[in-house]
Amino acid sequence: MEAIFSGLWALADPMLLFLILLATLGGILVGALPGLNATNGVALLLPFTITMEPIAAIAVLTSIYCAATFAGAVTAILINTPGTSASATTCLDGYPLAQRGEAGRALGMAAVSSTIGGIISVLCLMAAAPLLAGAAYKFAPPEYFALTVFGLSMLASIGEASSIKSIMSGAFGVLLATVGIDLLTTVERFTFGMNELTEGIGFVPVMIGVFGIAELLAQAGQLGIVRERITLRAIQLPSKADYKKTWKTILRSSGIGTFIGILPAEGATIASMIGYNEAKRWSETPEEFGKGSIEGIAGSEAANNSATGGAMVPTLALGIPGSPTAAVILAGLMVHGLRPGPTMFTEQSTFVFAIFWSMLLVNVLFFFIGLYGARIFARATLIPLTILWPMVFLFSIVGAYALDQSMIDVWIALIFGVIGYLMRRYGFSVVSLAIGLILGGMLEKRLGQSMVMLDEQWWLIATRPLSLFFLVLTVLALAGPALLKKIKKFKS
Amino acid sequence: MTVQSNGSDTGSLNTSRWLIPGLIILFCLVAFYFTTQFDQVPEILKRGIQPSDFPQLILLLLTGLACLLPFENIQQNRAAIPPSVFISLTLMIIFVLLTHLDFFIALGCFGGLLSFSWGERRLGALCLVTLLLPTFVFFLFDLVFEVRFPRGLLTNLWYG
Repeated sequence: MEAIFSGLWALADPMLLFLILLATLGGILVGALPGLNATNGVALLLPFTITMEPIAAIAVLTSIYCAATFAGAVTAILINTPGTSASATTCLDGYPLAQRGEAGRALGMAAVSSTIGGIISVLCLMAAAPLLAGAAYKFAPPEYFALTVFGLSMLASIGEASSIKSIMSGAFGVLLATVGIDLLTTVERFTFGMNELTEGIGFVPVMIGVFGIAELLAQAGQLGIVRERITLRAIQLPSKADYKKTWKTILRSSGIGTFIGILPAEGATIASMIGYNEAKRWSETPEEFGKGSIEGIAGSEAANNSATGGAMVPTLALGIPGSPTAAVILAGLMVHGLRPGPTMFTEQSTFVFAIFWSMLLVNVLFFFIGLYGARIFARATLIPLTILWPMVFLFSIVGAYALDQSMIDVWIALIFGVIGYLMRRYGFSVVSLAIGLILGGMLEKRLGQSMVMLDEQWWLIATRPLSLFFLVLTVLALAGPALLKKIKKFKS
Repeated sequence: MTVQSNGSDTGSLNTSRWLIPGLIILFCLVAFYFTTQFDQVPEILKRGIQPSDFPQLILLLLTGLACLLPFENIQQNRAAIPPSVFISLTLMIIFVLLTHLDFFIALGCFGGLLSFSWGERRLGALCLVTLLLPTFVFFLFDLVFEVRFPRGLLTNLWYG
């Protein structure tokens, strides 16, 4: 209880509050700009937080995460282009509503359902994360190893193209994590005599490369696309009838989003898809979905915003990222010398609860900013690509350089920009690569510790109940999608 | 077991079906060779696994999965890489070369050239990305974050 109040007190710093406000505005701007999303926004701004105190730095990153996830709805509704992939389902009903002259109503519902979903998920985070962290005290290295394997296996379901490619991307990330000096034996690996590589490949330059530079190259291939933009007169709060029609959907989607967010690696995009589908399934008027249903917007937006709080549960309690953006935030925690995991809740409880409170605050902030500033942020969609992407490149490169003031990080960012572009083009997930890179070091360390603990009999990992549980989940995560397909095929 | 396309890039699709797994396997073989060159530690110091064990395990997994890739039944319609992507890549190479002259100049030139190659012709917009933004970022980092750019032709004038 004391930690809850000390966390709140830590937030009562005018400078910190100002930073959170700025980050919320920046997050909404990032989310509203097509091509930029919460993940690359957080990756690009991570180097700017290096000189900040840890609480301020992580509060800024989580604020951008929450605000950008909400703001994806602005472009989804006004120009039929989701600002973030999590808002793709919002397009389905948001744009038809906007075409009917009800853009303000659609944005109002998006703001309300996002705020409610976000607040519910942060409250769940405040309750669940300490519980999960408490349970994690029982984990020994074999359990952590099995849990990390399970976290990586969840990558199978996040790629757009195929499970194999997603796992390969994750494995490539894990391989990259082996570059540098092996901490267990101090042997150099894949350094090729370069001193700069002895500490390994930095998370931040890789993230800037695969999320920032790669997106620039992807945008270069979409220069001819002209988007029709609908004028927004004024945003309006949902009517009584709208509330009556959607309150159940908002609550259901908030629960779905929080649960999906807690699952390792699964983020807001999957949450919004399931939230939308469930809203349609339970609706009394499913035929309206896809033609401008207010329930569709509520279902999608409540789910994608509630996934943000959910995703932070495993991130903070176990050090396993709950979503792609949480993976970048996890990298931010590590850069600031923080060790996510159960000990964080006892040793740095003020920090943890300050982050929870800041997320709660952002959810309230973006409601008001969304309501009164949507017209201004909608104008962000008018920024020409010819100005926006040179700007993104500038910030990417300077951000990569600023971390260690090393040009090698700039080259790494550029190389991974090209690798990221090619991976995306051929259906490999860059998100899996990023998560693999973050978890790779932890995976090897836990495996080594387990081998020492179990006297080099690795198969004994599967004889421990909790490890076995995670390994069974891993098999289900890997084989589940294929099995479900077969079952569906058999039924049809 | 087929990769289908209704676009004009069927040839490259069929090539990529075998070429990409082939390249990945080649990469894994080369990387595996390098792992055999890692120092080995005595049994008493190895603490569970040798330094080469874990990367080798991952490389074997990657190779195994790459062997499965050609047999995936995925429909793809992939257009050829647009010339604007190649132009942007070329500009990145120019950027790398220019950094040897001056980091600030490289950033400004890249911004201006990228904007121009993407179709921007307004002088104000080009000035913004070539001069104003790099200058703003330079002073922001120098004065606020206390991050110094690498020394070069122009930055030396400021750093003295």
